[in-house]
Formats: sequence, C-alpha cells, structure tokens
Amino acid sequence: MKKIISVLVLFAIISGANATIKVVTTTMDTKSIAELIGGNKVSVMSIATGYQNPHFVDPKPSYIISLSNADLFVTIGLDLETGWSPQLVASSRNSKIQKGSPGYVDASEAVGLLQVPSALNRGEGDIHIYGNPHYWLDPINGKVIARNIANGLERIDPSNKAFYEANLNAFLAKVDVKLKEWEAKMAPFRGTKIIAYHNEWVYFERRFGLQIVDFMEPKPGIPPSPSQLVKVIGEVKADKIKVIISSPYFTTSSSDVVAAQTGVKVLTMATSTGAFPAVKNYFDLFDYDIDQLVAVLK
Amino acid sequence: MNTLLIRRKIIPVTLLFAAFIFSHRSFAQTDTTSKAAKDSIALLRLIEQQMQSAPQTAPQVAPQQTRSGISANPDIGVVADFRTSYISQGKRNFDAYLNETEMSFQSVVDPYIRADFFISLGRDPVTHKYGATVEEGYLTSLSLPAKLQLKVGKFREAVGKINPVHPHALPFIDMPNAYTNYFGDDGLNDEGVSLSWLVPNKAFYQELIFQATSGQEESPAFSRGDNNRAVYLGHLKNFFTLSENATLEFGLTGITGPNDSSSITNIAAADLTYKWKPVQMNTYRSLTWQTEFFYSNAKYNAGRMSNSLGMYSFLETQLAQRWFLTGRYDYAQKPYDRNIVETAYSLTAGWLATEFQKIEIEGKFTHVNVQPDYTQFWLRWIFVIGAHGAHQY
Repeated sequence: MKKIISVLVLFAIISGANATIKVVTTTMDTKSIAELIGGNKVSVMSIATGYQNPHFVDPKPSYIISLSNADLFVTIGLDLETGWSPQLVASSRNSKIQKGSPGYVDASEAVGLLQVPSALNRGEGDIHIYGNPHYWLDPINGKVIARNIANGLERIDPSNKAFYEANLNAFLAKVDVKLKEWEAKMAPFRGTKIIAYHNEWVYFERRFGLQIVDFMEPKPGIPPSPSQLVKVIGEVKADKIKVIISSPYFTTSSSDVVAAQTGVKVLTMATSTGAFPAVKNYFDLFDYDIDQLVAVLK
Repeated sequence: MNTLLIRRKIIPVTLLFAAFIFSHRSFAQTDTTSKAAKDSIALLRLIEQQMQSAPQTAPQVAPQQTRSGISANPDIGVVADFRTSYISQGKRNFDAYLNETEMSFQSVVDPYIRADFFISLGRDPVTHKYGATVEEGYLTSLSLPAKLQLKVGKFREAVGKINPVHPHALPFIDMPNAYTNYFGDDGLNDEGVSLSWLVPNKAFYQELIFQATSGQEESPAFSRGDNNRAVYLGHLKNFFTLSENATLEFGLTGITGPNDSSSITNIAAADLTYKWKPVQMNTYRSLTWQTEFFYSNAKYNAGRMSNSLGMYSFLETQLAQRWFLTGRYDYAQKPYDRNIVETAYSLTAGWLATEFQKIEIEGKFTHVNVQPDYTQFWLRWIFVIGAHGAHQY
C-alpha cells in the first residue's frame, strides 16, 4: 500500500513538474507574445482570431471551457473587449483569472495611451473611455505587453522566473533590432498622408510617422455615409493621397467607390497576428504591414 | 538650456515617484509587492524609451498616462423601449407608450461575488400608470469550487432560450404565444436560488442548472398559493461548435411547481438553436434558427387534468450591417384546454443604428379556432445610455 501511495505521489509530482501553464488570451497578438515569453512552459489559446474584429466577438459558451481551466488570462483591456470578455470570465467559475487575481493580466498596464477622452459623449461615435485601445500596433507597446505578460507568468510560476526573464530580454532585444529595420523602411514616407477606414491605426501612425487625414467612417463605428465619401474623395484629390488602409473585417465596398473615383489604392492591412497566413507571429505583423505599405507608397 | 536641464531632472524624479505609486497600485492584491516595484521600474524604462523615441511628425497626439472615469460606482445603464401598437379588434386599438425603462446597476462586490440589479419602470397595461419593479436583482458567485456557480436573488429562470433574455435583446417585439400562455408576458422570473455546474466535458460545452424559486411571482402555469411548495427547475444546456462560423445548442428543461388550483403543473421543454455568423465579417451577415417546444401537464381541482403543447420557431437573418429580418411561426394550445388552439405568423424588420439604438417594426397575424382572426402591428424604438453589459450568446 505504501508503495502504491509513493508511486502515486511521485507521479503527481512528475506530472505537476511537467504541466504547462494554461494561458487564455483575448487576441492573437497577446497569444503570440505569451508564446514567445512562455516558450515550452505554456500552452496558449486565443479567443479572437487574427482576422476578427476584436470589438465584436460572440461570447460563445465553448470559450468558457478553456477559461475555466486557465491559469492565466490576458486581456487587451481599455474596454476593447467589454462586450464579451467580462461575461466569459465571470462565467468561467475560475477564481484564478478574475480581475485582481494573480492570473489576471491587463496588457495595457503602463502603456502610454493616446486619444484619452476628457468626457464620454457617444455623439462622437463609439469612442473608448480609457483611450484608443489598439495600442499593440506600436512595437514599443509590444515591449510593455511582454513585460506585463512576463510579470503575470512570474506571479503564478515563480520557479521559472529566470526562464521567462531570459525570453523577455530576447523579445525586447529583437523588437529593438526589428524596429530599426521597420523605421528605416518607412523613413522615406514620413509625413505621408493616408486615409484609414476605422480609427485603429493611431499608434502605428505615430510610430512610423504617417499622417492619417481622415477616416472612411464619419465617426468611429458609424458606417461610411455618402457625404463622407464625397468628403474623402475631395481630400484624396486635394492631398494626392495614394492609399486607404483597412482591416480584414471591414468591407471595402465604400473604399472601392473612392478608389474608382480617384485611383487611390485600397490596402487591407493586418491588424493582428494571424490576420493572413503569412502573419504567424507579432513580428510578422509589422513585417507584413510595412512591406505592403511601402509597396503601395513607392 | 536651463529649461532642458530642469526637465532632465524632473522627469526621472517624476518617473521614480510614479514607479512608487504604480508598484503599490497594480499588484496590491498579490504578495509580490517588491517584485512588482522592480517590474514597474522596468516598465517605466520602457515608457521612457517610448516617450523619447516618439517621432516628431505627429506632435498632435501626445502620450497620456492618466485614465478617466475610474470610480467605485457600479456600471449604470438605462435601456428605454418606446412603442406604438395596433390591433384589428376593439374600439381603442391604437396606443403609443414608453413600454419599459430598465435601469441596470452591475458590479463585482468583492473577490467572491458580483451583483446585478435591473429595475424596471413600466406602464401597467390595465391602469396605464407607471410603476417600478425589480426585474432582476441577484448575486453570482465567482469562486465556488468544482466548477459550480451559485446565483441568489430574483432572476429570469433558465427555461430554454427566450426566458433568460431581456426582451429588448430579442429579435421580435411580442413574445411567442406558447411562451405567454405558460409563463406570461414577463416570463418565468422569481425569487430563489440557482446552482449551475459546468460539466467537465472537453468535447463540448455542457451546463447543468438547478433552480428552486418561491413561486411568489405568479405566472399562468405556476402560483404559490397558500402553501410552501416551491417551483423546481432543471435545465441541461449542450453547446456544440460545428465550425468556426456555426454553432448548435440543444437544451432540455423540466419544471414542476404549484399552480393556482393548489395542485401541480409539470412542464417539459426542449430548445434547439443553430447560429451562423462568419467570424471574419461578423458585423455584416448572420443567421439564427431557433425553436422551442413546450409540453404541459396541469392538474386541477376535482382530479381534472389538462395536457397541452406549444412551440415557436423563428429564423432571423442579417441582411446587411444594419438590417435584420425575422420570421416566426407560433403554435399554442391553451394550458387549461387543449382544444383552444392558436397559430400565428409574424415578420419583424429591424434597423440597428448603432450598438445603442435600434428600431423595429413587426406585423403578426393570429388565428384562434374559437374566435375571429386578428392582426397586430408594433413599432419599437430601443435606446441605451450608460453602460450595458453583454447578452448571453
């Protein structure tokens, strides 16, 4: 009997030692970064796909299964996922990942936020009370996200702190190297005026020196109206704008109207890792978008 | 030059001060405060880098570290529902009214529970006076073991698919005939306790719910009367992911409780819902097909018993980003007399201006085998201010 108990205890210790940390992220970018920091110590699942509008994800009960077993939950925060993730987390019956618990990571902690409104007025469209939440589209913010995820992993798995720190440092160093490469590619186009479909590129715009002069949406979340199309057509002609950038989850029908009238190119860029087959990780995201933009702006 | 020197001194001091504050704010609920302080300093180094490396071409957007709107208040929202209605019967057959104003207060109470309150201000259909009722008010556990979740208070009960949903979130204005015949216009909504268990099934989502309610809130099927008998409900929810874009839900419900004859009514219900929505273009097209069946066995005084059936089935299609069309078929036998049969056909068109405003118009034709046919029309204008949480999938 003692032998059986000893074998069971040993088995439990071995399986515990080899168990991976189960991470659930709301988006593919935090999944990619969590995988780079956590390496083989983690298994990561993202609720949203890379080609999905992260504002509007259906809170399918099947996601609750993953959340109920998660050790760590990573959210973009800033009310980006307010329509779906709080309900899923509350339904998970998992106290480890509730807000305020060690397994809850708000990736936006300490990010330098842009477009923080001084007052909330929905007359201005679907604005975000805490600021523009698309901050992962600046690779420097990717470093802050990585730090937050490493902090979370170290809180729940302190025995592997050195491992996570080493991966974090490698990630930070790679961002530095890649950022120089990306900035060099975009340098000739600094100050270039462009149009965007939705107000989700402000961090990318600021980092790479573009100038978004208008949006296809007259206000955030409001579909393009005929008067907005007329306005944009005028702006494209006046400023000799070469490109309208959009996202995989928006129809390009209204942008195509502007293109037909002006000759401007419509470019569907990747807003997240996994948006297109070539965008396999967080670094691919910027490689892809910058190569696409450079090809159009040349 | 002096200004630059002062800035160089002030910024690091400010950052250190911020690091101190941050280290006490972010991870105060963990035992790793000193580690968090070090992490925060590392984070602030990143922020400093971010500020220093910000390109000069877009000076109009400066980074901001402050966040607005943080308070200890619960999330507060108001959903209002203005209606006009017409029925092809009677002298006074047109009406316009503010049907319901729902005020919600929702928040996490502490690490163990959250609380949700929905206060409904509505017009009494008989007296035409406005009054307030607690539509729902309950606490939900967040940290029970064994995948259990407890709900205590007044809540919409887990009968199939329509009953747990607030009416403003449904794709039609009136309720299905079978539903109102058994549960009334406001549905089965009572005080009590609910325990749900997330079945440890990795193949598909399965949830088992058991609810016991007092029966104080009367419905056509259940009424507490003079005794202490409660209404008991069990619901098994099965949810299958068919593909990235399609899901299927199948549920079974059983309810037993006292009726207004101081006897017992038993109801069995089954629900089946198919949803299709492309993940990539998820705001433009979608389709939902939902059906519920009800079977009632009601015992009355003097040994009289009545068995009855009811069902509805609707197909909701999203035609474009803002346009929805829903067709529904109703079949309902009266619970007290199965020989009285209602059949109805309805069509609802909805226009969604934004997430916070929707206008719907519905036409419905009803045939009852013991009275003349009649037609109804409704127009509903729903608008939301303040916070509004997600609805059930």
